[in-house]
Amino acid sequence: MKTGRILTHSIRELGKNKPRTFFMMIGIVIGVTTVTLVLSAGLGARRKVMERVRKFGLNSLMVSAGGGREMGGGTASLPVVTLKADDAEAIKHEIRAVKDTAPFNRKGDGMLKYREKSYTTRVFGVTPSWQPVWDWYAEKGNFISDDDHARMNRVCVIAPTVQQELFGEADPIGEQIRIGTVPFEIIGIMEPKGISPGGGDMDNRVYIPLSTFSRRIANVDHITNIKVLLRDRADMNRAVEDIRSLLRGRHSLAPGVPDDFRITTPVEVTRMAERVSGTFSLFLVLVAAVSLVAGGFVITNIMLISIGERRREIGLRMAVGARARDIRNQFLVETITITVFGGLAGIVIGIGGAFVMEVLTEIPVAFSWHGAALGLVFSALVGLAAGVHPAKRAAAIQPVEALSKQG
Amino acid sequence: MVIVETKDITKVYQKGTDVPIYAVRNVSLSISRGEFVAVMGPSGSGKSTLMNIMGCLDRPGEGHVLLDGQPVHTLSDEDLARVRNEKIGFVFQSFNLLPNTSALENVELPLIYSDRDHITETAKSALEKVGLADRLHHTPAELSGGQQQRVAIARALVNDPEILFADEPTGNLDSRAGYEIMALFQDLHAQGRTLVLVTHDAGLAGYATRIIQIADGRITSDKENRKTRVARDELKKMAETPEVNE
Repeated sequence: MKTGRILTHSIRELGKNKPRTFFMMIGIVIGVTTVTLVLSAGLGARRKVMERVRKFGLNSLMVSAGGGREMGGGTASLPVVTLKADDAEAIKHEIRAVKDTAPFNRKGDGMLKYREKSYTTRVFGVTPSWQPVWDWYAEKGNFISDDDHARMNRVCVIAPTVQQELFGEADPIGEQIRIGTVPFEIIGIMEPKGISPGGGDMDNRVYIPLSTFSRRIANVDHITNIKVLLRDRADMNRAVEDIRSLLRGRHSLAPGVPDDFRITTPVEVTRMAERVSGTFSLFLVLVAAVSLVAGGFVITNIMLISIGERRREIGLRMAVGARARDIRNQFLVETITITVFGGLAGIVIGIGGAFVMEVLTEIPVAFSWHGAALGLVFSALVGLAAGVHPAKRAAAIQPVEALSKQG
Repeated sequence: MVIVETKDITKVYQKGTDVPIYAVRNVSLSISRGEFVAVMGPSGSGKSTLMNIMGCLDRPGEGHVLLDGQPVHTLSDEDLARVRNEKIGFVFQSFNLLPNTSALENVELPLIYSDRDHITETAKSALEKVGLADRLHHTPAELSGGQQQRVAIARALVNDPEILFADEPTGNLDSRAGYEIMALFQDLHAQGRTLVLVTHDAGLAGYATRIIQIADGRITSDKENRKTRVARDELKKMAETPEVNE
């Protein structure tokens, strides 16, 4: 009971010199704010990647034209022309683990025209297997059929954003639009998929038959991607190896020649994203740790100065019955209280900052309890470490000297 | 009944390579319950050191100190703190109140370090006894010097100590506030308190019933004061001639 009384008394003492308390807190606040912010952003980034992977499908992999490790397929300046729609057929039929394949080609800047309105969007040349492989279907009307593909029909399926932009509330099915100069009939509308975790609008697209795309839009016979759906995701590693050797054979690549395609698996995407965000987080957490340690030294220094100023007070406390350990505990409680409250303030500011960051950058942020707890524990430890030396100094003060008239 | 007794105590300070300074040299004295003793001497005479030793703030180099019949010169720091907390009250020249802290909280301070309950009530009644019932929540900055010293006296009394030590308690006060403090001490004495007043001022020592004179760490005289000044009468006189002594 007596101890509790001394503790509450010590905490109350802090409120009596607000500027001093504030300056002692500030380093800890900054450190813990950073930890909270970084870990929340890191968690948000990880969730984002997981979401992307989940949307892509855990039992899927992507074959992209062009080798190397770069994301985004063959570069525009030097298109890789070796990946063909036949490759997709071969993968589907020759590899047992594969359930289905969806070859496609795409173009980032297709100019759509409907009467006087025009709108630029991404054009995808796809086969009917797009629907089952992506698990993404036409909501109204029809999707591209085998017949459309075989006959190079000039039909298209638009996604909701395109519909909004060109038609508003009106029903677009059966309407004629132009892609570039080529007229197309709208036969369906895709179901909405929303914003991709990367921030792109997945509903800002138009789909046409792959054959039509190759002949009338791009005038090429190669494709950029094949999405591969497996029967079972346990077969992922084997499927990757089988597809690699199949494609190498089909592309007549001699041993030692690098792949002219790239296979991306969900695991690989996850790992890559985690490596990037992990390194980044680690770096910032180290910065935060440095700030906390610096904050600790600031506290030690201010505490030492303040003990010098409070010699009389300490002497007086001893004269009225405080034991050395009461004085020591008072100063330890003061520093730990400062750092813990600084830590709490840092967590609150960090959460606020995370929300601001989310609004400003549209990068999703997830509050990290882990980070908050870590920040709080660390600030309490900093408080303890920073307080030990000043508290010992204070406890060693001799009341007679502290109270002497010159003091 | 004897409250404090010192037997042949000596305290030496050695600073640097200088010759040792005897702050207190072979002092033996005893103070009984209910006495109002003035320890008088010039500055550097060792009177404050003597007070610190009797008040358990300091230990003698040699000799024995008995407080309430119990030897205290052999106690540990922790036990000395407990003795100070329970049996001794101090009043200082510079008040030594905690700044930005209400009168009530200042008076509660000794109780915080004690095992007692009802600390707020006890502190309140101590402040009422020194006439500050209406200043409980004022901070030192909001109080006059005399009021601050009365808060300090309330703090010294709040643990109901066996003995009260006052070291130049009027040194920072104007003469009127000084008379008021001395009147308060005489009231406390009349109520049976044991008081030790340390001062260099012979006039101030005149309020006590016994005067011990100290020079160079030794007692040079120890006499009963037959012509005790009465602070209340002097206050009254002062009220009649307000300009004097201001």
